[in-house]
Amino acid sequence: MIKETKNLKLTGKDLITIGIFSAIYFVINFIFMILGIVPILWILMPGLIALFSGIPFMILSIKVSKPGAVLLMGIITAVIYFITGQFTILILITFSTGCLLSEFVRWITKYTSFRGNVISYIFFSLGMIGSPLPLWIFRDSFITQITEQGMPETYITSIQALASSEMLVVLIIAPVIGAVVGSLITKKMFKKHFVKAGIM
Amino acid sequence: MEQQIRRNFELDPRIELIILMIINVCIFTTNSSRITDIWCVFLAILLFGCGYKKTALKAIIIYVFLLCIQTYIFPIASKIFIMIFSIFVNYTRKIFPCIMIGIFIVKTTTMKKIVLALRKMHVSEKFIIPVSVTIRYFPAIIEEIRNIKDAMKLRKIPILQKIECMIIPLMISAINIADELAAAAVTRGIENPCKKTSLEELHFRPFDFICLLISIGILFTVNIL
Repeated sequence: MIKETKNLKLTGKDLITIGIFSAIYFVINFIFMILGIVPILWILMPGLIALFSGIPFMILSIKVSKPGAVLLMGIITAVIYFITGQFTILILITFSTGCLLSEFVRWITKYTSFRGNVISYIFFSLGMIGSPLPLWIFRDSFITQITEQGMPETYITSIQALASSEMLVVLIIAPVIGAVVGSLITKKMFKKHFVKAGIM
Repeated sequence: MEQQIRRNFELDPRIELIILMIINVCIFTTNSSRITDIWCVFLAILLFGCGYKKTALKAIIIYVFLLCIQTYIFPIASKIFIMIFSIFVNYTRKIFPCIMIGIFIVKTTTMKKIVLALRKMHVSEKFIIPVSVTIRYFPAIIEEIRNIKDAMKLRKIPILQKIECMIIPLMISAINIADELAAAAVTRGIENPCKKTSLEELHFRPFDFICLLISIGILFTVNIL
């Protein structure tokens, strides 16, 4: 019996696939970042992103079943944000941890199990919580910083109202729920359309 | 003739990147309005000198407009007006130099030069290929969405199914594009591990150093002001 050893290095085809789906993921990410001007949507942002970017993430996960796909997608998103000056150190930490954990789970589950992909997607989505996180971790310095930058009173008061411990729980739970629901939607879409089209 | 003039005043992409980061640092470490003023003037002169006169003029007009709103209108405006517009005006005025250098980069630097610059900086191919595909694919996404919207108009699709009918064709077309692009690229030898040659060569010119020095100078005045 011939055992097929899979080449785990990223080929040119993989890199291009990663590039294309990173673009789609970045667009979804960006839309919800912009909507994050509204304070409550800012807290829900990681969850909303998780809900909507399930399909590109899963397609990429399955098409490129090799280590590095998710990591590269994260790096590209991070670099584009970095160049436009939107990324703080905290986001960098949470995002890279999320991506690395995601890759690790994919590695362990050998890229084949659906549940493994869902768990890795949960970790990946949790990476974005670093964006509103300064509200809790660096609360006072953050508030003073945005006051200095000239944000209006109403914004500051509504932000402060949302910086409670209940909201912190919401911040962390929302991506998990969003990721799971997003994955289920993706699975349904796969069964309905992609299998018929012969692509998955 | 005009092409020649533009050529002489192009910036090396690496310098553009450094200037971009300097601008980012300046903007996020200070709130003084003078710094953004200085940057906008410098970048407008740059745009002007490189042949993009109309763009430079438009940028200056928009910036002055934002500044006027901020200094003259906000103190006397009603609370509702402030609430709606202040975030937008404040933020835009603050990151305006970023926008300007972004426009400058987009207008003067082709994808080819950026990839060349990244290769010269010894960035791994594993990063350059996806990044260039991503950037090139952004306008393609918009066009695909437009095409899908047109096709949807031909049929009456209930509102609930509209999202599904947008996303699925987008994904399938993305997969197809990825496959075709990969086939074309592999045929052209993207997987060959040897050093890539290029018709253009990137050198640092005196103009690059002048712009860099001016940018560093502005960065230091941030610390003084």
